Amino acid sequence: MLDADVEVDRREFTVRASLHVAPGERLALFGPSGAGKTTLLEVIAGLVRPRRGRVELGGRVLTSTASPACFVPPWRRRVGLLRQDPGIFPHLSVRDNLRYAPGGHRSRTELAQVADALGISGLLSAMPVRLSGGQAHRVALGRLLLAHCDALLLDEPYAGLDAQLRRSLTDLVAGLVDERSVPAVLVAHELAEAQAFADRLAILDRGCLLQVGAPHEVVLRPASRRAAELIGYLGFVPAAEHAGNVAGVHPERVVGGAHPGRGLVLAGTVVGCRPAGAGWEAVLATGTAEVTCRLPERPAQAGGRMVVTAVDPPWFRPDGAAVNPPAASAVPPGPASPEQVGT
Amino acid sequence: MIALLTHLSGGAIASALTGPGDLDPLLTSLASGAVTLAVLLVFCTPLSYLLARGTLPFPRVWEAGVLCSLLLPPLVIGLLLIFMVGPFTPIGELLNAMPWHLSATNTFLALVIAEVYESAPYYVVGAQAAFADVEPQMEQQAALLGDRPRRVFRRVTLPLAAPGLGVALSVAWARAMGAFGAVIIIAYHPYGLPLQIYDTLQETGLASALPYALILLVVALPLPLAAFAWSARARRRRRG
Repeated sequence: MLDADVEVDRREFTVRASLHVAPGERLALFGPSGAGKTTLLEVIAGLVRPRRGRVELGGRVLTSTASPACFVPPWRRRVGLLRQDPGIFPHLSVRDNLRYAPGGHRSRTELAQVADALGISGLLSAMPVRLSGGQAHRVALGRLLLAHCDALLLDEPYAGLDAQLRRSLTDLVAGLVDERSVPAVLVAHELAEAQAFADRLAILDRGCLLQVGAPHEVVLRPASRRAAELIGYLGFVPAAEHAGNVAGVHPERVVGGAHPGRGLVLAGTVVGCRPAGAGWEAVLATGTAEVTCRLPERPAQAGGRMVVTAVDPPWFRPDGAAVNPPAASAVPPGPASPEQVGT
Repeated sequence: MIALLTHLSGGAIASALTGPGDLDPLLTSLASGAVTLAVLLVFCTPLSYLLARGTLPFPRVWEAGVLCSLLLPPLVIGLLLIFMVGPFTPIGELLNAMPWHLSATNTFLALVIAEVYESAPYYVVGAQAAFADVEPQMEQQAALLGDRPRRVFRRVTLPLAAPGLGVALSVAWARAMGAFGAVIIIAYHPYGLPLQIYDTLQETGLASALPYALILLVVALPLPLAAFAWSARARRRRRG
């Protein structure tokens, strides 16, 4: 079990977070750049000392500011950290990189097994300069596995790699975390990457944990408007009859046409339209709010009328907190505003 | 080098170097240069590392000290050294009080001190840049893999900085071999090659001094040239 409950001062704000990751569990820390995600990982790894707090791993106290104060140096923590730059030692061959950790040379069989599992058996004699980005990440991962780390920290490790490679590496790491039953924390600023990896998703903004939960739950039921904004909700439509309450509209949770049984039906004027991925992205002006939606079919041209349905949208109070009504009353009752056709 | 070679004959070189004691300046320079490099390695390598990592207190003061000794004319360094290690200074008296009655003027020790002062800034500046070139994340990664700081230094920092350190050290060697300004003030004796050239020039003229100039170049230059070539090759191998 990895437990971290820390406060770290940064120039603009203080990072305050409490994380609990069970063995074999995968937690994704998601948030904008500069939110304090990497700082948290560095505190767990022992590269940064917190102002206050405690870090425990598998019953071992790694950091504690309370009496008796304790700080286990990084080389005794058995915490593996994989960053965007995999940090392969350029003066050592792949084989020497893999067995870098003290004791990493003990079992040649294990090295061969790990290299096999990672698909780098043919590269053992190569120097790092010859490796592609994906191969370098595999070597770095193998090095961590051979070091027998008790926890795995991944700091945006796949940024800069192509989508297919990212997916295969994510699956590979997820499988290895399961197999080794170590707690793993991934820092990501792309939601899809975090969702693909994690059992639980934590949203961090300016040093504060906004929400922790199952990825699906966090995405569909953000705890606050700010969390929703970070997750990718681009439109917030006011409900005329509920002063100040707004519905969060995620571009990918919108279907064309009026489907009152599925959510909030919105009608408005198309103010912009452009291709996005395999479909189209349109911006719809609905009274006081603009809503972005991604649709499989090309919507009306700019200036045309369009009706869409925001599927089961989350609602937020004026103070930004989520309204959590039962599913049946997820959408406020009452007459719709002029541009809000119905629910 | 070409100009030198065109004005020298094999006979002139042979006659300059075959007399009794003719090789002494060369041996003195080689010995003092080797000791100087050892001193630089032992004392200036840690200083350079700490400067590169910014872990020394008042780093700007240290850097200013290094730069001053780089920018000061060597003759002035020699004069200042008299005030620092001369026979009537605390350091001079301390050296004299030792069982071997050491002196930091006109001795082999004085020659080494002068060479260290003339060459150290070249080594420190180069070594600092070499260490700064090693990404701290590499060292962090090694530590997270279980290496203590000393082991990290030995297994990661030093090998990665080695090409730059090699160049810095070889430049310092060339500087030490050619040290003259500070040397003529505090270490007129024993003669190293630069003073031999100067004295021969004064006493018997240019033609007699040229063989020693050639020897000085032959001794001082190959190491930096080899170090530059090795460094470029090592960097190419690592960076592709």
